[in-house]
Amino acid sequence: MRSEGRTVDAPPEAPSEFVEEKTLGWGFWLAVGWIVTVVGAAALAPYLPLKDPQENFLIQGERPPYSPSLEHFFGTDQDARDMFSRTIYGARVSLVVGFSAIAFGLLVGGSLGMMAGFLKGWFDRVVSFLFLVLLSFPALVLAILITSLLSRGLQTISMTIGILSIAPVGRLARAATLVYAERDFVMAARTIGAKNTRILLRELLPNVVIPMGAIALLGVAIVIVVEGALAFLGLSVEKGSTWGKLILNGTGTRVLESAPWVAFAPICALFLTVMALNYAGDRLRDYFDVKELSL
Amino acid sequence: MTDAPLLNVSNYSVGFKTERGLARAVDGVSFTIGAGETLGIVGESGSGKSVLNRSIMGLIASSRQIETGSVLFDGSEMVNQDRQNFWGNRIGMIFQDPMTSLNPVMKVGKQVAEPLRQHLGMSKRQAIERTIELFTNVGIPSPAQRTKQYPHELSGGMRQRVMIAIALAAEPEFLIADEPTTALDVTVQKYILDLLNRLQAEHGMAMTLITHDLGIARGRTDQVLVMYGGRVMEHAPTEELFTHTRHPYTEALLASIPRLDHKKHARLTPIPGAPPNIVEPPPGCRFSPRCKYAQARCVQSSPTVDGAEHRYACFFPVGTDAGAEALASNRAAGETATGLKMSHFEVDA
Amino acid sequence: MKYWTQRLTMVLALMLAVSMLTFASMNVLGDPLFNILGPISGDRKTPENLVKIEAAEKQYYLDKPLPERYVRWLGDFVTGDMGVRFAATGQPPVTELVKERLPRSLWLVFMAQVLALAIAVPWGVWSASRSNSLANKASTVAAFGFVSVPNFALAVILYYIFALKLGLFPLRYDASASFLTRKTQLLLPALTLALPGAAVYQRLLRTDLITTLQEDFILTARAKGVPRRQILFRHALRPSLFSVVTIFGVNAGGMIGGALVVETFFGIPGAGTAIVEAILREDFPVVLALVMIIATGFVVLNFVVDILYSILDPRVRS
Repeated sequence: MRSEGRTVDAPPEAPSEFVEEKTLGWGFWLAVGWIVTVVGAAALAPYLPLKDPQENFLIQGERPPYSPSLEHFFGTDQDARDMFSRTIYGARVSLVVGFSAIAFGLLVGGSLGMMAGFLKGWFDRVVSFLFLVLLSFPALVLAILITSLLSRGLQTISMTIGILSIAPVGRLARAATLVYAERDFVMAARTIGAKNTRILLRELLPNVVIPMGAIALLGVAIVIVVEGALAFLGLSVEKGSTWGKLILNGTGTRVLESAPWVAFAPICALFLTVMALNYAGDRLRDYFDVKELSL
Repeated sequence: MTDAPLLNVSNYSVGFKTERGLARAVDGVSFTIGAGETLGIVGESGSGKSVLNRSIMGLIASSRQIETGSVLFDGSEMVNQDRQNFWGNRIGMIFQDPMTSLNPVMKVGKQVAEPLRQHLGMSKRQAIERTIELFTNVGIPSPAQRTKQYPHELSGGMRQRVMIAIALAAEPEFLIADEPTTALDVTVQKYILDLLNRLQAEHGMAMTLITHDLGIARGRTDQVLVMYGGRVMEHAPTEELFTHTRHPYTEALLASIPRLDHKKHARLTPIPGAPPNIVEPPPGCRFSPRCKYAQARCVQSSPTVDGAEHRYACFFPVGTDAGAEALASNRAAGETATGLKMSHFEVDA
Repeated sequence: MKYWTQRLTMVLALMLAVSMLTFASMNVLGDPLFNILGPISGDRKTPENLVKIEAAEKQYYLDKPLPERYVRWLGDFVTGDMGVRFAATGQPPVTELVKERLPRSLWLVFMAQVLALAIAVPWGVWSASRSNSLANKASTVAAFGFVSVPNFALAVILYYIFALKLGLFPLRYDASASFLTRKTQLLLPALTLALPGAAVYQRLLRTDLITTLQEDFILTARAKGVPRRQILFRHALRPSLFSVVTIFGVNAGGMIGGALVVETFFGIPGAGTAIVEAILREDFPVVLALVMIIATGFVVLNFVVDILYSILDPRVRS
């Protein structure tokens, strides 16, 4: 009787007895819908009835940029190029960089982190220190450092940003592995004499992949932003246009004042996509109870 | 009792809107407390005793809460009114767990000084001096140093003394002590209770002492209110309640606490079952599912709280012929009207 | 005490690793000689060029092995000599450049953090004290929007609204203006950095405050008659700041990165623009010095956050 429960005596201010069933919510599906639309449009851009993003649609007697119209949904830029199709084509490079960079980060960071969490000992210490070193650079500083030393092709840019994601992804993978390595099913596999590689691939990987997947969406969002920032500094891919380069193109004071749509069309596309990725990632993370990610 | 009681609660009910319906945490409670008097409120967890006191004070900030009835404090109606002006100023409160009831990141001296400055308009300096006096008064050794310490640096008993100092800082006329000793070591319990009684006498304060332990109520209160499932089961002057227990629930509570005059190795009788669901309470007496006197009538209708000095809500009161007959018939049947096996109660026989 | 010694050792080890990595990658992947002398660096056949090359090699210790150069550089760096610039063949020395550029960036990030907290704390307290209202849902959406908007995009948006359309701020940074004017010129760039940070802080603070407000000691504070405002700011705020403090260091890193973009966009001659210029000109001593300073600041800041933590929570201290 001494242990009078506070929970029972406390007034029912919050209906804690009704644990809501976890759902992803309609917002999640809206976000996913947007992501699918953008990815689809970007992938199929050459086959869609879009204007050529490089063509100059000059109108006799009028100086570009032209404001949005039925002809040009998002208007045109200073060279009379159609902003709508440029924005969609711009998504191609941004998304390729985004997804390939995070794939690189997942592959390298994920496997390093998993091995560190599984093998422990000196390997863990070395890898953890390496992650800390990478995290000691503010992300963007590290990015421009690498891009300045290497060429600025699509692959290098993707890889550069991929390197940035190694440490956060790796730390997450390590933490998840440490948790799962203590679980019964791993112990069971060990006692029946399973080899390390088998345990890592068959028992641990499937469990670590789920939280990593949730993180990947957030990662893609961060990567797209980093790429945009690099482009903004004139350090992104030299060929082809990305959202960042499109925005930069529209930010000269004169253009911005007279034709804000040149900058704001890609800004809106970028913002909505990043927000959708963030939201979807956030919901997934809550859904699977994953903690800790910062870049 | 004086003609104008300090606190007059009549037919007071508190409900909470939930998804499953209205939870009647407090149901038609009435009592009065005169100046300088002590009321003991006794009941198990979930009996509604804490909700009762917190709602009277208006401390429950929930839009789901519904209050009905009347609570007059010194003549002014409190129900559905903003009671903020009374907090700390005219009514003080002490909570159960001194571990969590003090702000962990604020020096304890400052926590006591706060109501002093708030209600008595003291300067910082005056408040510090008064805090040291209060600490001395509640028996905290080397009070000046203690004021500069954080709660985690003090023992549970010390912390509860700090809580008492906080509650008494602005010299309220009425003190609500909500299980003030439940979380403390037995050796400290008596000290804290004696302290409360002494301070109460010194200040002429009225007090409600909420507890689940009838033994604490005896000797320290003027009257006792026994609650179960949000309702009053029995209400009487303290000595009357202990000498002429009428309600089976009170009897069961008494049987479940150890007493010094019990013979060695005497079995305690636990109360079978759990407190009732207050969202959809069973018809009839709320205690009937756990009562060894329960008859068919107890399940069909609910007894009202009757009587003048000694009030109780039971059709078959303990110590009356009706009660004895009910018990005898249940013994003969082997079970009560609610299907409870009589063997549960016979462990002591 | 042992804990702090360990932490300090870790900080030093990290700094060494960061400097080695930066130093090595620049010298291995880049070509310092080319950056100093230009095209003639590859031409050792012409005698006059060879003389120049050898002189340069001697001056910059390029004829010495990498580890020795690193140690020399490190020795100079910790004594405050960051060497000479490649691009402007030595003039002015890197230290001078850093002295001129760095304070502006520090001011920018400092102002951004102050703004972020000044926005986030009242916002977080407000939204925690009245959850569930419609205005609160709107504020949650707004916070999410600010977290998601990249700072270069935000820079464009704020510049368009406040500088171009409303004319509240000057269009360009003027380094020759008076002290106070220069600070007001930094306001819009600082706001650009601050808004996403404020949204992050607000979200954390709100969650923690809602938890704190359900604690017993809040009930005690109410029961002793402390007014609502005072409960929020004096009792609930401090124990709810831990997550904000934890993320403070990480956020500062984000703001330093953001400063590169924001300085470039608003034309502020700070350390951020200096890095970008130096990278484009492959002026490695400048890059090296600034990267080291930023990384050191970042690591030290996170160390300070650790100390701050123990000040906030007296329980950690003992």
